[in-house]
Parts: sequence; C-alpha cells; structure tokens
Amino acid sequence: MKLKSKFITHETGKESLLIPTGGAGFSGLVKGNKTLGAILELLKEDTTEEKIIAALAERFDAPVDKIASDVKKALSELKNIGAIEE
Amino acid sequence: MKIKLAEKIIEIEHLFTYIEEYCRDYITADSGKSDFSIFITKDDIEYERERSRKEDMAEGIKVREFNDDYLETLAVYRKISEKMPDFDTILFHGSAVAVDGEGFLFTAKSGTGKSTHTRLWRVRFGDRAVMVNDDKPLIKICEDGSAVVYGTPWDGKHRLSNNISVPLKALCILKRGETNEIAEITKQKAYPMLLQQVYRPRDPVSMKKTMELLERLNVNLAELKCNMSPEAAEVSYTFMKG
Repeated sequence: MKLKSKFITHETGKESLLIPTGGAGFSGLVKGNKTLGAILELLKEDTTEEKIIAALAERFDAPVDKIASDVKKALSELKNIGAIEE
Repeated sequence: MKIKLAEKIIEIEHLFTYIEEYCRDYITADSGKSDFSIFITKDDIEYERERSRKEDMAEGIKVREFNDDYLETLAVYRKISEKMPDFDTILFHGSAVAVDGEGFLFTAKSGTGKSTHTRLWRVRFGDRAVMVNDDKPLIKICEDGSAVVYGTPWDGKHRLSNNISVPLKALCILKRGETNEIAEITKQKAYPMLLQQVYRPRDPVSMKKTMELLERLNVNLAELKCNMSPEAAEVSYTFMKG
C-alpha cells in the first residue's frame, strides 16, 4: 500500500500535515505529530503495515505494541478518507 | 482574448463570448508574449457542471443548473488558478477591501458575513475604502513573505471589484459572535481555515507549491468574532492596521 498521489504531505516544523489536492474528493486536513510524519513518509513508497511498525520501532523509543496500535489507527483513518491505494 | 491578471498576461481560447464581457475590465491589448495560455473545451464545461451539482448536493440545497457560458467563466478561473502558483500567486476565497492604499482580507465559510463586514468598512471609511475583490482575489506572496492582493473579474454575486492591487496588510478569519472581539491568531491555528479557503490545485506539484506559499506568507493574522454592528468595522480596522 502507498499514499495516493492526490494527497500531499507538508511539514510545518511543528506538525505533519496531509493535504488533499483539489481532485482528491476529500476537503479536510489531517494533522499530527512526528509519528504521523514518519508514517506518511514511509507511505510515499509501496510498503506494508508490518514494515511501517518495524521502521518506527527502530526510530522511536516506545513499546512496540504502542507503536503498532498507533500505526493501525493512523492507517485506518487514512484509508477512511481515501488516501491509501492498496 | 488576452487578459492581465495579477501582473500576468494570459491568453484565453474560449468557446463563448460571455467571458469577454465578464473580463472586460481586464482585457489587454498588450501585443507582447503571454505568460501562459489556457484553452477551454466542452469537457471543461461539463466538469464545472458536475462539480457545481456535487457542491449543491453536499450543501443540501436544490441543484442549480447553469448555462454553458457561465460555466465557462468558472472553467477559465480554475485553469488560471491551477497555473498561478508557478508565479507565487494563489486564489483565495475572501472579501478584500483597501483603505488608504492598504489591503485587508476577510475570510470565512460562505454565509458567515465577509461581504457584510467589508460593506461596513465602506460605510465607515467612505471614499477611503475601495473594494479590491469581494469573493476570489488573487494574492501574490513575495520572497520575504509580504503579499499583494489583486482585483479579478471573479468578484462575487454583487460584482464588487476594481482592477487594482494593494499590499496586503492583514488577513482576518471572521466568525459570528455576540460582541465584537478581535485577537491575533497563529499560522498553526489558522491553517485549517487557510487550507479550506485557498484554491487547492488538482496537480500535486502545484498543490505542494501552494502549501509552500502559505508557509511563506507573513502578514498579520487575526480572528474576529463580530455581530455586524457598525462598531465591528472600527474594532477590526484598529487592530488590523497595527
């Protein structure tokens, strides 16, 4: 799975944003902390939920089950707004 | 037809004549090279028709049917707005008024009262106030973050605009309130509204550039809660003038 090209990412320095282009069919805004930023960055290439969890576990000092839960939740929200192509 | 919009010469190949009347104050006889050209096709007209239908349905109002020549005006502005980020310029949904040569832009969801508020400014300031554009001005964001706001023919249902440009002094998010209160707002807090009100290109590269321009924008940002009394204009002007 990866991020659809109709969604772009943007870092403001304080937050990570996922913004739909005009043709994306979604008019909201997704924002989050650096965890979201890391997930979005990984989703720019074709990847899997397991690979994302593994990459974040290496990068962040947090329990793996917490990371897995955060990733699962983020992916679910991204799929709900149509931002992911399988 | 060639028009000059936000200092750019744009060649427009159109299907109907209505757009010439619509843009008459911006038509240029400049024989020099255009900065870019746009071409309108029947598919572009149908795209606007479908988009308009979906927006009406999403807002829960009766679907309005528009003529092809009116839809062409929407198609023209859309194509122009897709291209303008290349020139550091964005389309922004808001009512822009100039007082003593300085621009003040009010933005809000449709129906909140942007035009009503800038009308209060025109009453308050008389000849000192000039409407730049009551609906969809263009804003150029300079390298240093300062901005210039431009009149365009796409100026709302009351057709309020002038073919002028002024430096943008401040941008204000408008909300309805019991009393008139205004305060500074951070770019971070303003982002959701800025993103909602800026034209978001379909092209991802152009969209990315739009985000960079919003990031670069460095003008006073404010949030105003107001009740549309004449006092509201005094409150907002005094704060935004700085």
